[in-house]
Amino acid sequence: MIRYIIRRLLQAIPLLFIISIVLFVLMQNMGDPLATLGGRQVTRSEDRQRLARQLGLDQPIYMQYLYWLIGNDWTKIDMDGDGVPETPGRRKGVLRGDFGTSLVNRGKPVLEVIWDRLPNTLLLMGTTELVIIVGSLIIGMYSALRQYSFLDHLVTAIAFIGYSMPIFFVALLSMYIFSVNFKRWGLPYLPTVGMFDPNVGKTPGQVALHMVLPVFSLSFIYFAAYSRYIRSAMLEVLSQDYIRTARAKGLPRPTVIFIHALKNASLPIVTVVGLDLPFLLAGAIVTERIFAWPGMGRLFIDHVSRGDTPVVMGILMMIAVAVVVFQLITDIVYAWLDPRIRYE
Amino acid sequence: MKQSRFFILMAGMVVIALLLAACRPTATPTTPPPAATQPPTVAPTQPPARKVATFIWTQEFDTLNPLYTNMWFSAITQQIWNCWAWDYDDQNNPRPVLVKEMPSEANGGISPDGRVITLKLRDDIVWSDGKPITSDDFVFTYEMVMSPKNTVASTFPYDKLEKVEAPDARTVVMTFKEPFAAWQATLWHGLLPAHILRPVFEKEGTIDTAEWNRAPTVGCGPFVFKEWESGSFARFVANEKYWLGRPKIDEIFIRFVPDDASQVAALKAGDGDLGTFIAYSDIPTLEEANVQMVKVFSGYNEGWYFYLHPEKGHPALLDVRVRQAIALAFDRFSICKDLLLGLTQPAITQWDNTPWEDPTLEPWPYDPERAKQLLDEAGWKDTNGDGVRDKDGVELVLTLGTTTRQIRRDVQAVAQQQLAQVGIKLELANADSDIFFGSYGEGGPCATGQYDIFEYSTVVSFPDPETADWLCSQIPSDENPAGVNWQAVCDEELDALFQLQATQVDPNERMQTFHKISRLIYEKVYWLGVWEDPDIWAIGPRLKNVRLSGATPFFNIVEWELSQ
Repeated sequence: MIRYIIRRLLQAIPLLFIISIVLFVLMQNMGDPLATLGGRQVTRSEDRQRLARQLGLDQPIYMQYLYWLIGNDWTKIDMDGDGVPETPGRRKGVLRGDFGTSLVNRGKPVLEVIWDRLPNTLLLMGTTELVIIVGSLIIGMYSALRQYSFLDHLVTAIAFIGYSMPIFFVALLSMYIFSVNFKRWGLPYLPTVGMFDPNVGKTPGQVALHMVLPVFSLSFIYFAAYSRYIRSAMLEVLSQDYIRTARAKGLPRPTVIFIHALKNASLPIVTVVGLDLPFLLAGAIVTERIFAWPGMGRLFIDHVSRGDTPVVMGILMMIAVAVVVFQLITDIVYAWLDPRIRYE
Repeated sequence: MKQSRFFILMAGMVVIALLLAACRPTATPTTPPPAATQPPTVAPTQPPARKVATFIWTQEFDTLNPLYTNMWFSAITQQIWNCWAWDYDDQNNPRPVLVKEMPSEANGGISPDGRVITLKLRDDIVWSDGKPITSDDFVFTYEMVMSPKNTVASTFPYDKLEKVEAPDARTVVMTFKEPFAAWQATLWHGLLPAHILRPVFEKEGTIDTAEWNRAPTVGCGPFVFKEWESGSFARFVANEKYWLGRPKIDEIFIRFVPDDASQVAALKAGDGDLGTFIAYSDIPTLEEANVQMVKVFSGYNEGWYFYLHPEKGHPALLDVRVRQAIALAFDRFSICKDLLLGLTQPAITQWDNTPWEDPTLEPWPYDPERAKQLLDEAGWKDTNGDGVRDKDGVELVLTLGTTTRQIRRDVQAVAQQQLAQVGIKLELANADSDIFFGSYGEGGPCATGQYDIFEYSTVVSFPDPETADWLCSQIPSDENPAGVNWQAVCDEELDALFQLQATQVDPNERMQTFHKISRLIYEKVYWLGVWEDPDIWAIGPRLKNVRLSGATPFFNIVEWELSQ
C-alpha cells in the first residue's frame, strides 16, 4: 500500500506540471487585465504600456510562465521604461511556495487572497455536504426499505423537482419567500444576504442564521442524485443472500440495516463523496453570488473576469492538488471498507 | 460504525469552521464604549442606539489606496474615508475641502500663463490620528504617483506636472509643463499620509505592498476605516476629528452583493439603506417598496462609434451620408421609451448633462424615409433583391459589437430590426468587458477593427470633458498598440480643436471650442448618441438628507441622517 501511495504521488508531479501549463496558456486568452482595470473607462495607453512593463505582462508567455514557476529574483526588470533592466525581481515562484501577488488587489499575496475566503467556503460547503449526506441517507434508505410506497414516490418526486430546477431559481425563490415576503407578512424571516447583521455582529448564531438559505438551496438540488445512489445501492445489497441469512439468524432489524446492509452499500457512496470533496474548496459560484457569501466561487469568478492570472492559477492549482489527493484518499478508503480490494 | 465516525468527523469540522469563521478578527462593536464618568445621581439611561447605515455595493473594491485603482466603487468609497482637495456638489460646482478657496486668476491661485497653480491649505485639516495634513503630504503623493517603483493605476494627470513644491506647510505650488485645462477635475483625488507611507517606501522601495493599501487606518475623510473582510463587508466609523463636522451617522457598513437580483431583494427587505447600479427594469418594484430612486448624471452617454479607418473600415461607413442614414433609421426614442421605461432620453453628444453640453443641438430624428433617400444618393441600393443594399459587389452588412450588459444586447436586437427596414443588415457580436475593451496589442475587437460599429459609454474625468479618444496620434497600429482612438477617426479640424481645448485654461474660451467639437462630431456622425446613461441610486426609507453628486456622490455625507 505504501508503495502504491508513493507511486501515485510521483505520478501526480508530471500531471500537475502539465495541468499548470495548460491552465496558464488558457488564462492568457481570458482577456486583458489592463483593459479597464475594473473601471468604467478604457485604460490610457501610456498607463497600459507602463503597467504591462512593470507587472511583466509584456513578456512572452513562456517567460511569464517561467517567472510564475521559478520566480524572477534571478533577473532584473525595467521598471522605469528606459530600456535598461535595473530593478531586481522579487518573485520566488511556485516551486518555492510563492504564488505571486494579485493583479487586482495589487501587491496582496495570492495565498493571502485565497486564505481570506477558504474558511467561509469550507464552512458553507462542508455544512451543505453534511446536510446532503444525512438527508440523502434518510431519504435513500427509507425509499429502499419502503420501495414503491406512497412516501417513496412523494420523496422521490420532491427530490427530482429540486434536481430539475436551476440553483439560481431555487436561491432567489427561497430568498423572496423566506426573507422578503415573510418580513412583509409579519412572520419570522431569514436574512437575505451576507454572513451577519452589522447591528448584531459576527456571532456564531448570526453566521448560522445567514447560512440557512444558501445551505437549503444547495442541498435541495443535490438530494435527488445522492438519494438515488443510496436507494439503488441499498436495494441491491438488501437482496443479497447474506442479508437474508442475517435476518434468518434473528438479528435485530437495525443491526441488519445499519451494520450489514449500509456498510456494504456505502462503497459507491464513498466514491461519489470522494469525487465531490475536492470541489468543496472551489465553492459554489452561483449560490455564493446570490447570497453574497464571501467564498472561493465568487473569488474565482471575480478574478477570472479581470484576468488576474496569479490568483486564478493559485485557485486552480489548489483544486488540482485536492483532486489528486482526494482521489488517492478515496482509493485508500475503498480498500479499507472492502478487504477484497488490494493495490499491489 | 465507520459511517457514524465519518458523520461525527464532518459535524466536528462544521462546528470548528463555524467558530473559526465567526471568531476571525472581525468583531463588530455594536455599542459605543461606556462613558468614562457618570454622575451618581442620574438614573442609568439606555445609550442611544448606534446609527449604522448599510450600503450595498455590487462590486468589491480592489484596493483602498486611491492611486492603485480605476474602479468606480473604490473611487466613491474613498470619499468616505479619504479626502479630495475639493469635491463637487450636486450642481457639479467645486467645493473646497482641504483648500481655503478654489485657485483662480482673480485670487492669484493661477498664474497669468496658466502654468502655475497655487493651493492654500486650511489651517484645521488633520489626519484621523491627529497629525496635521500639510503640503508635504501633497508632495509625497505626487512623488508616489510618479515613482517607477510603484505600479499605480494611472499617472494622469500628474505626468502633466513639471514639479510640485511645498514652500511652507500650508502652501502647495504646482507647475505644469504647459497650461492644462482639466486640472480641477483630475488633481488630488485622494491623498497619502506621508508620515505613514514614507517609511514603508524607504524600507521596501515601493508602496505596492503597504498594509495601508488594504487597511488604511489613518485617513482624512468624514469616516475612518475600521475593517475590510474580503468578499464580505467593509466598515467605516465616524471621524471625530473631521474638520467639516462629525457625521450624524456613526458607522457606514458596506456589504458586497454581486448579484443584481439579490441587491434588489436586500433593499426591499430593508437589509440595505443605499444601493447603486440598479437596472432600469428594477426601478418600479423598488419604488413600490418605498425605496427612493434617484438619477444622477456623471457624464456617461451611451453611443455608437463607427470604425472609419481609411483602409480597413467598411466602405459604406466612410461615406457620411450612410452614417447619417443610420442615425435617421435608428429609432432611439423608442429605445428610451420602451427599453429604458421612459426614464432617460436619447443622447446627442458625448457631453450631454455636463457643463460642456451644447444646448443648440437636437437629437437626430427618426426618419426612415429620409434615411433611404440618403442611402440611394450614396449609391447603396439593393441590386440583387436579397433585402440588403449593396454597391460595387459589397453588401451593406455591418457588425455591431458591444459588451454583454443586458440592456446593450436588447438595444442591439432592436437596432437590427430597425436598420433592416432600410436595407442595412446588422450582425451582432458581444464580448466580456475585459475582452471588449482590450487594446490593439491584446487583439481587442474594437481596437483592431473587428466591429464596424461598437457601443459603450466612457468618461475620463467628469465633470471635465477631457478625452484623448479623438486624437489622430491615438489611432492604434502595430507601432502604437495601446492607442485609444479605436474608431480610427483622423479629422484634422477635430484633432486641432481637441489639442486646443486641452490648453485653454479660460473656461469660456474652452466652452466655445467644445461646442465646435460637439457640432463637428454630431454633423459628421462620428459618434451617434443612443441614450443618456445616468447612475441610478436607490435610497432606503431610513436615510435622510441625502444629496448625491455625479463626480463625488458623498459630498454631503456628514449631513446624512438615519431614522431608526
